Amino acid sequence: MKIKNYDELTALEIDTLREVGSIGTGNAATSLSQMLGCEVRITLPEVRIMGYNEAIDWIGGPEAITAGVLVGISGEVNGIMLSVQPLEFVNLIIRHMLDKELASYEELEELEMSALVEIGNIMISTFINALSGLAGIKVELSVPSMAVDMQGAILAVPMAEYGGQTDYLMTIGSNFMIDNREVPCRLLLSPDVRSLNYLLRKLGVE
Amino acid sequence: MISGSKPVVVGIADMKMVNGDAKVITYALGSCIGICLYDPKLKLAALVHIMLPLNMEAGRKNPLKYADTGIRETLKAMQAKGAMKSRITAKCAGGAKMFEVAGKGALGNIGQRNIESVHTILKMEGIHLVAEDVGGGVARTLTFDAATGMATVQSYGKPVKTI
Repeated sequence: MKIKNYDELTALEIDTLREVGSIGTGNAATSLSQMLGCEVRITLPEVRIMGYNEAIDWIGGPEAITAGVLVGISGEVNGIMLSVQPLEFVNLIIRHMLDKELASYEELEELEMSALVEIGNIMISTFINALSGLAGIKVELSVPSMAVDMQGAILAVPMAEYGGQTDYLMTIGSNFMIDNREVPCRLLLSPDVRSLNYLLRKLGVE
Repeated sequence: MISGSKPVVVGIADMKMVNGDAKVITYALGSCIGICLYDPKLKLAALVHIMLPLNMEAGRKNPLKYADTGIRETLKAMQAKGAMKSRITAKCAGGAKMFEVAGKGALGNIGQRNIESVHTILKMEGIHLVAEDVGGGVARTLTFDAATGMATVQSYGKPVKTI
């Protein structure tokens, strides 16, 4: 069977991935809602297959500072999952959990950092749990890791990791609606190309 | 070739060449490396933004994505504009490790491998590396001024560095 690259997926396959994104993000929203003690809904999930520079434009330019929590996925499916947390999202979390507000990322201290890592980790784990249940696959997750830096460099991590296989970055995810406001917390799943094909087979398409 | 005061932007897996009083810039180098190649006599500067150490693709559709083919392609383009390899010098920045991930093999080491590959290729091509700001764990924005041959590196929360 031919291994399909990101840009060769059919509409049915994209729809299936969107469904995975919907269920995964939905579960992540539920766990976020429990942690924050408020209603969290999700916007329509998207599957995006973008060239590198297109992806940087999509996230809002290369130089803006953002927080990113990264978890490596290995086992039957290999990939990277990122929780990209803009300041608006960070403040929402910190306000609910620690009753504080930050003017910039430079004010982040250890306690706030570990709260963000934990939030990112729980959302990613819930997402992956839903995915592995849906597809009947076993995966292991790495210890989460956090970086606060230019978002272009954070997004370049999954690009570089799979750069030898493809010229595209695939992301599956959506934004959250918290307190009836859309908050751009991006949960991004980037599977490697082989894993993507395996996943689609397991999900019964392809 | 483009001249003027506004810096010419180099994307990921991309290369731009300027001369005279123009500048080139590439944003948010994480594990990627920006390599400035410069012929001082012609004031001809090229900046290539590479992402991975070695090109092992069958089709080699995108040579600028890799350190080896990216640097060679850039040198060729400069020579086509009259640059002499013996005069060309290099400055580079990037190769950081953005995330510390425990127990997941090669992830996060791409920056280090990129640095090693850039060093090797420059040595093989006989290009003198005059300055660099590589490694560490922060993203860098790299600007190169074709008029002066100076590069500036800007990182988040740090003063601007001139190399």
